[in-house]
Amino acid sequence: MQRKLPVFALFLFVFPLCLFAQTKYTVSGTIRDQSTGEALIGASIVLLEHPRAGVLTNGYGFFSVTAPSGNYTLLVSFAGYKSDTLPITLTKDLLLPVRLTPGGPELQEVVVSAHKGNENVTQPLMGVQKLTINEIKNIPVLFGEKDILKTIQLLPGIKSAGDGNSGFYVRGGSTDQNLILLDEAPVYNASHLLGFFSTFNADAIKDVTVYKGDMPAEYGGRLSSVVDIKMKDGNDKDYTVSGGIGLISSRLNVEGPIVKDKGSFIISARRTYADLFLKLSKDTSINQNSLYFYDLNVKANYKFDDKNTIYLSGYFGHDNLGLGNQFGTNWGNTTGTFRWNHLFNSRLFSNTSLIYSNYSYLIDVNSGTNNLTFTSKIRDLNFKEDLQYYVNNDNKINFGFNVIHHTITPGILDATQSSSFNSSTLQNKYAMESSAYVSHEWSPLTKWKFVYGLRFTAFTLLGPGNFYSYDKNGNAIDTASYSSGKAVKTYGNIEPRFSASYQLNQNSSLKASYARNVQNLHLISNSTSGNPTDLWLPSSNNIQPEIADQVALGYYHNFHNNQYEFSSEIYYKGLQHQIDYKNGAQLVANENVESQLLFGKGRAYGLELFIKKKYGRLNGWIGYTLSRVEEKFDQINNGSYFPAKQDQTHNISVVGIYQASKKWTLSATWVYNTGNAVTFPSGKYDVNGQTVFYYTERNGYRMPAYHRLDVGATVEGKKTSKWESSWTFSVYNLYGRENAYSIIFQQDPNDPTKTQAVKYSLFKFVPSITYNFKF
Amino acid sequence: MKLTIKPVLLLFLLAVAGCKKVIHVDLNDVAPQIVITGDVTNATGPYIVNISKTVNFSESNVFPPVQGAQVTITGTDGTHDNLAETTPGRYATTLSWLGKTGVSYTLTVVTGGQTYTATSTMPPQVPLDSVSFQATTGLGRKLHLQAVPNYQDPAGVSNYYQFTENINGQDYTKKVFASNDRLSDGKYTSRRLDTDTTLQVGDLLLVSMYCIDQGVYNYLSTLNNESDAGNFSSVTPANPTSNINNGALGYFSAHSTQSRQVIVH
Repeated sequence: MQRKLPVFALFLFVFPLCLFAQTKYTVSGTIRDQSTGEALIGASIVLLEHPRAGVLTNGYGFFSVTAPSGNYTLLVSFAGYKSDTLPITLTKDLLLPVRLTPGGPELQEVVVSAHKGNENVTQPLMGVQKLTINEIKNIPVLFGEKDILKTIQLLPGIKSAGDGNSGFYVRGGSTDQNLILLDEAPVYNASHLLGFFSTFNADAIKDVTVYKGDMPAEYGGRLSSVVDIKMKDGNDKDYTVSGGIGLISSRLNVEGPIVKDKGSFIISARRTYADLFLKLSKDTSINQNSLYFYDLNVKANYKFDDKNTIYLSGYFGHDNLGLGNQFGTNWGNTTGTFRWNHLFNSRLFSNTSLIYSNYSYLIDVNSGTNNLTFTSKIRDLNFKEDLQYYVNNDNKINFGFNVIHHTITPGILDATQSSSFNSSTLQNKYAMESSAYVSHEWSPLTKWKFVYGLRFTAFTLLGPGNFYSYDKNGNAIDTASYSSGKAVKTYGNIEPRFSASYQLNQNSSLKASYARNVQNLHLISNSTSGNPTDLWLPSSNNIQPEIADQVALGYYHNFHNNQYEFSSEIYYKGLQHQIDYKNGAQLVANENVESQLLFGKGRAYGLELFIKKKYGRLNGWIGYTLSRVEEKFDQINNGSYFPAKQDQTHNISVVGIYQASKKWTLSATWVYNTGNAVTFPSGKYDVNGQTVFYYTERNGYRMPAYHRLDVGATVEGKKTSKWESSWTFSVYNLYGRENAYSIIFQQDPNDPTKTQAVKYSLFKFVPSITYNFKF
Repeated sequence: MKLTIKPVLLLFLLAVAGCKKVIHVDLNDVAPQIVITGDVTNATGPYIVNISKTVNFSESNVFPPVQGAQVTITGTDGTHDNLAETTPGRYATTLSWLGKTGVSYTLTVVTGGQTYTATSTMPPQVPLDSVSFQATTGLGRKLHLQAVPNYQDPAGVSNYYQFTENINGQDYTKKVFASNDRLSDGKYTSRRLDTDTTLQVGDLLLVSMYCIDQGVYNYLSTLNNESDAGNFSSVTPANPTSNINNGALGYFSAHSTQSRQVIVH
């Protein structure tokens, strides 16, 4: 049986290729926005006469549909745009660029088609959520700064890492188990200002797709999710300038053609000036501090001909915090992507990417004679080749490979001669992460669809350097020295991915999936809020790759002409080689940091319900998650399972957007969740006059339940052909719920014989106002 | 050295006017646990061992003493002393002897049918040169003075230190100052002792420096992590790793000690 399996797999790949008896032709092309020329991702193309011959555009707006020769009507549709029907005559392969006109949601109700808007039912992929910028634009968030990562937290299965925080947990996975891609480049620290802003300037973003663990084989490297963010290409018709002026930040966005209809560019910049408010304070302990970030997105593309397009995109972000002249820190991400789209023929699409990603931080301390700086960084060089072969309408094959070279500089401590500290440099860590994948989208029968594939990954930790082994007390027992480029340890893993859908009727389907994900870069963090000083470690002789296996089942149902979509999914995820660290672990500037780690396992399971109204004057969604996530380490909690801190039993999000008039759009979100699991003291005792707290089990208590209502309103100003403007007002936490950010146990300052619990709350009733313009 | 950025979070709290409120939290009751603290130093005794029990969080800070325990300290140099209970729960050495560096001492406590033991070795003394003062600002705090002990860390060996402050006759007990030379081996070391009090010019300050062993350092630094939890560090709190066996809380330390008394200037 074991031996027959590969043969069967081969058969599945080859069999469809043999089905080319009849003369068939292909219509292919790119779907774009009529006014800006932006490629539309995930637009639907259907031949009305051949309803099964339908595809969605890929990440570059490309589609390819094949049918026997004849006359057809091509229906092209995309949420937020007017659908278009195009008559075509297929007597040869056709290249057909399509441009769609943006349309208001009220218009969408009129255009009703049986084949439109039910991709969520017909596509086999599960656990996928897509958001367009139009949806994100109107949802109120903290400080009025529209934010992708905070908006996806309103979807079921995705939970916030804290009040106002852009960090998130997907299906119980920790924050470092999310692969966040910006134009294919991984972003290591996706937060600004300790998590209160995400690094993504929504002005520069076109499309966001979240895979909650059931990702197709082309993605890999993280256990829990992929957030695939695509930047805008820039307007290839006209120059436009848009921007926003807010209370604590402003944005400016410039885009336009390089060569009309051939190439375009976009530059998008943002800076906060929260520190200006600090300057207003008369208190010198506050007004001498600095606190700001800026970021810059740039992108250019050029279309040489119908078959070759290149893209160049870059991101630069930087945070700066300073406390007087005693303490300063700054950190930032830089990413760059060069891509070449090439069409070998109308059915074979290729994308070649060269990707650079860098994350670094610096800490500067000046205290008396103790002047020191500490720097750390992680840098990736990445080559990626992705191919999509549209075999025929029932078969599509994706395949490719990826090679990443990682350089991790764990820390360079630079101290002056008079300092109490020694200068030291921890040895760099190098690793090569290679992967290859093949995946087959297959619709063998009217009701069945499959996407299945394999991803193979090899991770090699490379010299030079000394590599240690430790006993169970963390003492180094052996040292091995490796020269440059020599393999220290290699891990190979096979990651099967499978999903299937069975269509019950026009409007409903059942789906099932299984996926294995492997992670070879591990974040060792002692914080929930995404500290810039968090430490990334590669798999090594001491650290094994983290592995997650997830199975999921789902029922999908659309009703009212696809105006409403409903989905329910249940999942179970088993996690191996999870990492925690010892009590009192020394994580900073420690050559032997791997001796401080603990290894265990985890399990997560849950139910996710989601109902969304897609069109109409009132649209929005309700999401509910019932879930549990637990961890198990031999050295913690007597080796029994305990709830992970991100364990929240119930989680509800309600999002409503109401188009009150041509000028006014109103919106509101309400969230509720069970408090996170937390460790509180049960008793106390005395150590030399200091009252010390006594803890029993890990995460045995709960924070109070969290809930919050945010409201927003946008009013459009007078629109002329030259000038558009709008005001956005929002209030975060409208009813002033004092949600616990932290509960601290301490001595009662007024009564030394007592102890007390003090609740700290952060954001209570935070109003904001932003002025947006475009010309 | 700790590179934490949590003060910044506090800054943010101030900036957005976060609020704090004393609340009631329903905490479980726990069976009383035994707590042992004791030390042996190179200064004149008697050396004291305190034995008490834990109480529930909601109770007053009155910790029931454990009376009638058999308490013994032995040393690898042949020291053997049966301690006598002088006041309830407080046991003192009865013989006249001085703790010596390089000697390992073992504390044995027998109570309630259970035997608890701990061993600690007194490390060589590192001279405390002087105590100076440094003006510093903290978040939301005006320029204020903090004490800085100055000493030469011996190169090539691991050293662990504990400092205590006594301000105008009052022990400062809100925080434990424990440090090591992991990043400052062989350096002339001047690291500030940050307290939440403000030293006033003219205050009488007594700074003591203990050279402690690794086990005691591990205990005290994890005790510190836990009290840091009160400052928004998100480290999951846990009981510090004690050098006493059989589940007793607390620690036993054999350490050298020296003090400098200075008038704050």
